[in-house]
Amino acid sequence: MAGALVGPATLAVVLGLLVPLAILFRYSLNRFVPGRLMVDALTVENYVKFFTDPYYMAVLVRTLRVSAVCMVLCLVMGFPLAYALARTRSRWKSAVVMLVVLPLFVGNAVRAAGWMVMFGSRGLLNTLLGVVGLIDHPLQLMYTEAAVIVGITAVNLPFMVLTLESVVEGIDPAIEEAAASLGARPLQVFRRVILPLAMPGVLAGTILVFILGMNAYATPILLGGPRFQMMGPLVYGQFAGLNNWPFGAALSFVLMAATLSLSAVSNLLIQRRYRR
Amino acid sequence: MTAGRVALRVAAGLGLGFILLPLVLVSWLSFFRDEVVVFPPSGYTLRWFRAILDQRNFVDGFVTSLEVGVFAMLAGLALGVPASLTLARYRFAGRESLGLLLLTPLVVPGVVAGTAIYVFQVETEILTRLPLVASLPGLVLAHVVITIPWTVRLVTASLVGFDRAVEEAAQNLGAGPWTTFRRVTLPLIRPGVVAAALFGFVISFGNLEMTLFLIGPGRTTLPIAILQYLEWRIDPVIAAVSLLQILVIGAAMVVTDRYVKLARVL
Repeated sequence: MAGALVGPATLAVVLGLLVPLAILFRYSLNRFVPGRLMVDALTVENYVKFFTDPYYMAVLVRTLRVSAVCMVLCLVMGFPLAYALARTRSRWKSAVVMLVVLPLFVGNAVRAAGWMVMFGSRGLLNTLLGVVGLIDHPLQLMYTEAAVIVGITAVNLPFMVLTLESVVEGIDPAIEEAAASLGARPLQVFRRVILPLAMPGVLAGTILVFILGMNAYATPILLGGPRFQMMGPLVYGQFAGLNNWPFGAALSFVLMAATLSLSAVSNLLIQRRYRR
Repeated sequence: MTAGRVALRVAAGLGLGFILLPLVLVSWLSFFRDEVVVFPPSGYTLRWFRAILDQRNFVDGFVTSLEVGVFAMLAGLALGVPASLTLARYRFAGRESLGLLLLTPLVVPGVVAGTAIYVFQVETEILTRLPLVASLPGLVLAHVVITIPWTVRLVTASLVGFDRAVEEAAQNLGAGPWTTFRRVTLPLIRPGVVAAALFGFVISFGNLEMTLFLIGPGRTTLPIAILQYLEWRIDPVIAAVSLLQILVIGAAMVVTDRYVKLARVL
């Protein structure tokens, strides 16, 4: 009985995703011969190619760097909002939570479009800077790493806010009041009381945001331009542009291995340090 | 109000503003009279919303996204609801790992899932000669993989505190399994099911990274039509399309929030 009810969903996930992933992994061990496309083989040369070619390593390093910067920005910008949301008793709270959540589902292309309006050569930021008199000629803001970082940070910020909000809600405000009544200044309360107690959420949120940054696709394409390569667009290019399945498959697995191992390590850390 | 509280409010407001700014800008642009991005605009107009209808890509993309979203949502419910009910109430070996398995699509990066499913569909096409890639069934099959975990998550969340005694009472009073489900279980889990339906639709409708690999000439979804247009240019037409997507998804989420608090399930 139970099997008949869970079976179809399980089958859908296994056939729909896990089997394809297994096949993809097998293909990552195949050989790519220009003109004949994929040739059966059992070789790790695609992985070797990735880790020895300076071009691909530069893409990986850039992806890691952008993700790390975005992660820090998300933490710094997300904490005040998460804290304010967790502590407020305003009747607008659920409306604000909704505003935080909505952009998540609108899609990254639409949000990148907003930043294109901001950063274009005749965009809002260049116009404002010109009006104020800070610049004579429009700055090149589009197609820069900074634009990509701003875009990815904005895309991932809601995840950080929601994760942090739920841990802060679990911290009894009485603890903060006790610290304050014992003479701690607000910043000390934050550093010595709130932050240590919120640490599991901070870890979970930063790792989540880092992973999402690594897998970004639309934002680097639209704000970074065709020459700005990150891992997501690189994978797509191997399939769509070059038809190099074995190498594209290997890239997918490098990306997924990085993603999964990071989340596994963070889960382990959180469980070991904060198990009650 | 102390200085610290003011500072906190300002910082929180900045965070919220940063999240919303791109959506606000794109909505603003959709009313510009000028054909290009220029500040300040020379005036405002609604004509770009009509201009969308001349762009077949957006109209077709919208229809495809709608079709895929509805079918993937229905299939996600048909598969996910019974699975979550079973997982929540029967104790059997491997129950927990089965529950995790159903959630795995949430942790696989969209680009990776897309490549894997693309390769799988191409190979299946070669074997069976059934057209899959860039077909409606092909897209639905792929999207079901991402609607199932959300259905399981939302329905499971709505089952917390569910008392099985009500079902047993119904059966003691002579109701068969189907009647029990329809008259007792379903009304009790309705909020979760409605939320799963809307959420599944939203997730499918907005999906970009995975779908990117599964479209082809003549069949794109709305988010991809938007992406492809933006790679070329930004103007009020694309902003109007974007605003429509924001409104569709926003409406679905406001309704969802009435049934299940969104902040609780993400």
